[in-house]
Amino acid sequence: MDSSAISTENLSRRFGELVAVEDVNLRVAPGQFFGFLGPNGAGKSTTIKMLTGLLAPTAGRIQILGLDLVTNMVEVKRQIGVVPEGMALFGRLTGSEYLNFVGRMYGLDRETAAKRTAELLDFMQLTDQPKTLVTDYSHGMQKKLAMAAAVIHGPKVLFLDEPFEGVDAIAAGTLKTMLQRMIARGATVFLTSHVLEIVERLCTHVGIIHRGRLVAQGSIEELRAGVEARAADLPLGANGGSPGAKLTLEEIFLLIVGGSPSGGQELSWLG
Amino acid sequence: MTGLSAGLTSDGRSLAQQARQQLAAVAELRWRIFVNSLRTRRGRMEFASHIFIGLAFVAGGIGGAVGLGGAAWFLILQGNVEWLGALLWPVFLFWQLFPLMATVFTQNIESSSLLRFPLGYRSYFMIRLAYGSLDPSNAVCSLWLLGIDIGIGVARPRMIPWATIVLLTFALVNIVLARMIFAWLERWLAQRRTREIMGILFFLFILSFQLIGPLIAVYEHRSIPESKILGQELSHAQRPLPPGLAAAAIADALQEKTGNGVSSSMISFLLLGCYGGAFLGFLHFRLRAEYRGENLGESAGRKALPSGLSGLRLGWDLPGLPGPVAAVFEKELRYLSRSGPMLFTLIVPLFMLTVFRSSGRNEGLFAHAPGLTFPLGAAYSLLLLTNLSYNNFGADGSGTQFFFASPARFRQILLGKNLAHLAVFALEVVLVWLGTCLLYRPPSPDMMLATLAAILFVVPIDLAAGNLFSIYSPSRVEAGVFGRQRASLTTVLASFAIRGVLFGVGAMMFWLSRNYGNLWVELLMFLFPGACAFAAYALALNQVDGIALAHRENFISTLGRRE
Repeated sequence: MDSSAISTENLSRRFGELVAVEDVNLRVAPGQFFGFLGPNGAGKSTTIKMLTGLLAPTAGRIQILGLDLVTNMVEVKRQIGVVPEGMALFGRLTGSEYLNFVGRMYGLDRETAAKRTAELLDFMQLTDQPKTLVTDYSHGMQKKLAMAAAVIHGPKVLFLDEPFEGVDAIAAGTLKTMLQRMIARGATVFLTSHVLEIVERLCTHVGIIHRGRLVAQGSIEELRAGVEARAADLPLGANGGSPGAKLTLEEIFLLIVGGSPSGGQELSWLG
Repeated sequence: MTGLSAGLTSDGRSLAQQARQQLAAVAELRWRIFVNSLRTRRGRMEFASHIFIGLAFVAGGIGGAVGLGGAAWFLILQGNVEWLGALLWPVFLFWQLFPLMATVFTQNIESSSLLRFPLGYRSYFMIRLAYGSLDPSNAVCSLWLLGIDIGIGVARPRMIPWATIVLLTFALVNIVLARMIFAWLERWLAQRRTREIMGILFFLFILSFQLIGPLIAVYEHRSIPESKILGQELSHAQRPLPPGLAAAAIADALQEKTGNGVSSSMISFLLLGCYGGAFLGFLHFRLRAEYRGENLGESAGRKALPSGLSGLRLGWDLPGLPGPVAAVFEKELRYLSRSGPMLFTLIVPLFMLTVFRSSGRNEGLFAHAPGLTFPLGAAYSLLLLTNLSYNNFGADGSGTQFFFASPARFRQILLGKNLAHLAVFALEVVLVWLGTCLLYRPPSPDMMLATLAAILFVVPIDLAAGNLFSIYSPSRVEAGVFGRQRASLTTVLASFAIRGVLFGVGAMMFWLSRNYGNLWVELLMFLFPGACAFAAYALALNQVDGIALAHRENFISTLGRRE
């Protein structure tokens, strides 16, 4: 049995002719805060959907907490929490009704579900509009509610697809606190994000996917060392960072995926 | 700025030119959506369903046109032109009521999807007006009016131009009125408070139908002259309304009545035009408010819950059933209770009973078979649940992802949903029973038992079929929006076919058992197939986990996507 919290073996997914994810071999150890990065369309969301059972892989194997996802799907789902793309909320329930519902779907008894609902609403500062339907929540409130729903059953592994997208600094702070508490309790967090500063601050390990292939994986320090070793062969300053300064995650990311902040082209009608 | 004030856009085009381009862009958008939908098998099946339903409407339209045209011709030849109103009233009622009763066939557009573009109000108004103009009710009723026009023309060829103008105006008034009703209903049903007020008003309206019975009782024993007087009173009462005015405009022209230099025909026509103007005005008020970005959000004032754990609200409990089933049951009923269209649907069977009651003397349309009121009402209630039971996940939207991410099994989720829909159906049946007792007569015990036994046979198979169609052919619907409930037409057709077979078999057994005349034999005849139906339901439910997993990709993408 694999001791990783999350592991994949040659994970692939095709949509007709398009290869969205190809031969991805991920290893995420228990207790890690893992950031899964990649440019738009690289295959991040497809991977996270496969890891959470929302999408079937075309080929390969997925193990979560040592359990094969295909053969132990229900057991795996009991152990994980998910904030998928689109948040999977039920808009015509109130926040309290929604959390209660989610708790009971995860098998909590009525009292426990109600107690945790109250605690989570309090923690997420969502108690001031008790009769408001989720559909009328602001985007940030919906993100906080989706996060609360993902942790209500105390998952051992948490999958988050862009949890900080469209969230203000106050809500982001609440979410970060929640995630750090999860890590402190020994849970594993797997998140995708475009906000590299947040990933750099929170995550201990990252994986970078580019055009469907996992091109880098390890701790941020390991990635930095690898990139710097590669950059040592290049002319001075070609690594994109200031000479002597420590490379930021953004610089590491750009060097690995081979992108540059501007395309170098101009738009005729914008002058 | 001067260019803009002179009716030019920043790039020098006139506003009218820009509006035309925007209308063309919306038309092209609809066309592209249609063409792109044909890329998938489901889209092609939808198209085939559209053609099939379209043919059915064309047949109804042409049949009605021939019938109404013949009736118009006959009335004119007989010199009973004052009865033309009797032809226009059914057209008017169908035109206005059909889109409300059968929202699946109507086209509508969400205002927010248009308002993000730099659209002038005039363009916005025209698009909203034009969007539903190709609805079946418009097409069918236009055909019927054409039939009446031809009937009048054959009887009195010189009347063709005037009758065409009047009927065309009548058609426009109807189109504008239908759009106006939709726009206002959407507004009222968008907020809980107005929805509740609407519900109460509607209920009072329904109750007022009960006055019809006593009224008929008062008049039914009157002599023929007195009945004629009543007919004349009704004729006078309907005359100031749009169908009455349109009929009067034609009838008066046929009789060449004049008064004070202006023909009474022209006055009726102008009044009809005034109605059109008034409806247009009310529609304008509504759409103007939408255009200006009114906020119909139901965000309550900030009333903080007491912090801490006091006042915990426990979820519902269904004894003997697992927690997830009870949770889904609770969630479904909460959703339904917040869905205006659903609440409206609940009242429809009662509404139909009252309409049938008022459609004739004594027992109304059920005069020849009063005992069938209850079973037919129950069957109609089941039909009304099509949008729910054949599209179980339609209102869940992106929330459906949660069902796949959670450890609950799909059979539990569907069982919870089925139980919730059964609860609604049971409530409907009780309402129908109450309506039958109040408006007609209490159903006999054997009729009640036979109906309940038939329900035991029909409902499990219907639910099982609905569960499978919900997974194979899901369609996203907005729970709180009236008029955009676009369930898959393939599913609607399939559900009609399945119900046709089920009701046919049920009716045959019903007839056989009633003829046999023994209550116990009657019950046995239903209970045995009922037991088989339950077995079929359980078998289908056991298969849904695998089916849902195999279809999860299409399922999530279809329901998570905003049209």
